[in-house]
Amino acid sequence: MTAPTTDKSSRLAINKAGGKMVADYWDRIFTARERGEKVVWYNGSAVNPIFQAAGMAWCHGEAFSARLAAQHLEGPAQLAGQEYGYVGELCSYARTHLGCAVLSRKRATGSANGTGMVGLPEQAELAGRLPTPDLFVNAYAGCSTGQQWDDISFRVFGKEVPIFNVSMPFMWSNRPGEGYMVGEEWERSSRYVAEQLRELTTVLESITGRPFDWDAYRQNMAYLKQASELRQEAMRLCRLTPAPATFWDWIASVAHINFLPASQELVDFFAAVKAEIEQRVADGVGAIADERYRVYFDGFMNWNHLGLLAKKFARYDVAVVAGRYTHHAFWQEPQLIDPEDPLLGHAQNNLLCPMNHSTKTIERLVLRDCDYYGVDGIVFHSTRTCRAFTNPQRLVAKAAQEKRGLATMFFEGDIADASYYKDEVLDSRLTAMLETIDVRRARA
Amino acid sequence: MPVGTGSTVGALDALADVAARPEAYAAQWKARTGGRVVGILPMNFPREIAHAAGVLPVLLQESREPDTMGRHLLAEFYCGFTRNLADSAAKGALDYCDGFFVADHCTQLLGAVDVVRAEAPGSPVFLGQLPPSLTDEWARGEARSMMRTFVDEMARFAGVPVGDAALSRSIALSNDNRTLLRELFAARRAGNAALSSPQLQAVVKSGMVMDLAEHTELLRQVIQGLADLPRDNRVRLHLSGHLCHAPRPELLAAIEECGAIVVDDDLFTGTRWFSTDVAEDGDPVEALACWYLERDRTAPCPTRVKHETDWEDTLVEAVEASGAEGVIVLMVRFCEPHMLYYPELRKRLNERGIPHLLLETEHEGLPVETVQTRVEALLERIRRTAPVEVSR
Repeated sequence: MTAPTTDKSSRLAINKAGGKMVADYWDRIFTARERGEKVVWYNGSAVNPIFQAAGMAWCHGEAFSARLAAQHLEGPAQLAGQEYGYVGELCSYARTHLGCAVLSRKRATGSANGTGMVGLPEQAELAGRLPTPDLFVNAYAGCSTGQQWDDISFRVFGKEVPIFNVSMPFMWSNRPGEGYMVGEEWERSSRYVAEQLRELTTVLESITGRPFDWDAYRQNMAYLKQASELRQEAMRLCRLTPAPATFWDWIASVAHINFLPASQELVDFFAAVKAEIEQRVADGVGAIADERYRVYFDGFMNWNHLGLLAKKFARYDVAVVAGRYTHHAFWQEPQLIDPEDPLLGHAQNNLLCPMNHSTKTIERLVLRDCDYYGVDGIVFHSTRTCRAFTNPQRLVAKAAQEKRGLATMFFEGDIADASYYKDEVLDSRLTAMLETIDVRRARA
Repeated sequence: MPVGTGSTVGALDALADVAARPEAYAAQWKARTGGRVVGILPMNFPREIAHAAGVLPVLLQESREPDTMGRHLLAEFYCGFTRNLADSAAKGALDYCDGFFVADHCTQLLGAVDVVRAEAPGSPVFLGQLPPSLTDEWARGEARSMMRTFVDEMARFAGVPVGDAALSRSIALSNDNRTLLRELFAARRAGNAALSSPQLQAVVKSGMVMDLAEHTELLRQVIQGLADLPRDNRVRLHLSGHLCHAPRPELLAAIEECGAIVVDDDLFTGTRWFSTDVAEDGDPVEALACWYLERDRTAPCPTRVKHETDWEDTLVEAVEASGAEGVIVLMVRFCEPHMLYYPELRKRLNERGIPHLLLETEHEGLPVETVQTRVEALLERIRRTAPVEVSR
């Protein structure tokens, strides 16, 4: 089999407008100081509706690293991190973000000339645009590194910026009857996180000097619930063949559901996403030109190669119809949110991070998706510097083969470090997997 | 020079044997007592709870076997310890354990524990997460609650009640053990060079595996007959890092063979292990919770979040106290908390003009020649900058 060369992908048109929403959001972050807004740097789960209600500007560290990687601007920040002493095997989100922190700190303290490896223009581009924080908030589920990363950010800034930590219990399921959204572990952890979120609101009051606006928070959560419901309904339409949208389209709107302001504009955006998908269904239009294979994507996004991967899979006539990262994160259980009393449902959606479950639960969720979307195989992105996402992959692959007879393949890459991606390896392994699927079909 | 009397040498040999083959000791203990063995994952599960239940807690160690069957169960970019743990589980090498307890949330460790649960479906694997962020105002309550859960779960596992009296006895015994270990390491810090780094590691590592009373008795024998051997003029080093398992003894030996002598450390299989006692008065469950929260003050660990404590300060204080002339940072390859914290250590060591060297370690492959070349360069740097004594 030889790889065709034309672009056979057809991404949703709404993505273009979505891209502008994201760019506008970051522009507002970069100019937050000019409007006199307090700035919070946070990592992990989506606690941003609380920041929004408090009237703060919020900067999600992972999101900023991902954006830099997607724009191929991650180099200077990673170089600054390297110069500071971070080893290249460290989470590249953390490395990139900490590199920004080092540059921001240097700039804020007037020592921007202190780095010898990162040129001044790049320093200005990065450090000048990301406002220094008034508060750190960590709310990392499923990854110990995430929590440690913010502790180090706190130290990079000389312990001068306050930090608040939301501890997210890992959902291991010790007892029978415990699992995804069920059991004593779930109930207890939900209440524990909800109480911490309530405590966060009092911390924000001390930072902003204003009472927390609970009405605004309820409104934010109502918008998010609506947006998420639309997103989920649109996702489910991709069960159809040909798939009207793919994993890559959902990747393009991760930022929106994850950290853009909760608003009517956000709801309208996902209504437009759904409408475009419905139109494609009505017209019989697929997200790729000739869908011959359907696969599931398990792994963190490789932000350096979003366009390349979308085109590559389409060239092989592969519709990547769903993925653990896109389908098991970001308010994916909107029914849990009670807009009148949203803290508990907020906490529960935060706990349902796709890295925050034991393999038993992840296996069940992934195989359930594979059944629902009717896939031929699973592509595992073995994400070099994200062990939390990679944790269950080998066992899930084994289960997919043994319990469903699915073809599986692994390729190595990373979230924000382009150097770990090997294009030829992906080509050869994808070719082999598709041949396996062809053989199985011929035998059937 | 002999390290001590015959009984000291005999005790050291016995401890070294257990350290080298923990599974053989556990099997022999089971055969001897008919008791149950629980595999403990590092770093913070209190062994006192298992001991109080009459169960042998074996802190799982990296094996010396090359990874084979487990290689397809965890990706190659996990630390050597977790990959080896997965391999051991896949080979059935952990079958001597009747169950497993975990108190820590290291993401790579969780991956390995998932493999253990998959490969040993008949053995319970209890994961109870102690609060990693120690600064939170609710951390103490959470730690206490989790310690209570551990006690109840251990009682269920052992099939016997675990009362406060039994817990207090185990705590006292464990404190005795730590006191003796501290005495041994204090002697090294004060200048007694009778024991090499690999020997001291074996003393500690065996204590992570053995019955407490038995280990304590052998420790007493080691200390009673230990020679007082003043250290020579080798370069004095502090070893730092290896947060949850032992570096290869061959690595320790290779460092000392270069003309250095290790005078102190903050290794998991060193001072970190016995840094903190558990209070013996009051509620033992509360005392265990406080022990967990206090440990980070006496031996700061980058796997915990505690904003008030600074590992770099503790490191510099230890270096000054022991008179170490340099530091070797032993970083387990892919250990993220250590990778995150290392620049803070480096910055402080540089500020204080303390020469240091970073060595990464792996489960397989110890490039002795490369290591020794780098260590020799460090030692040369230290010698060149050391004040020269001029005889008059």
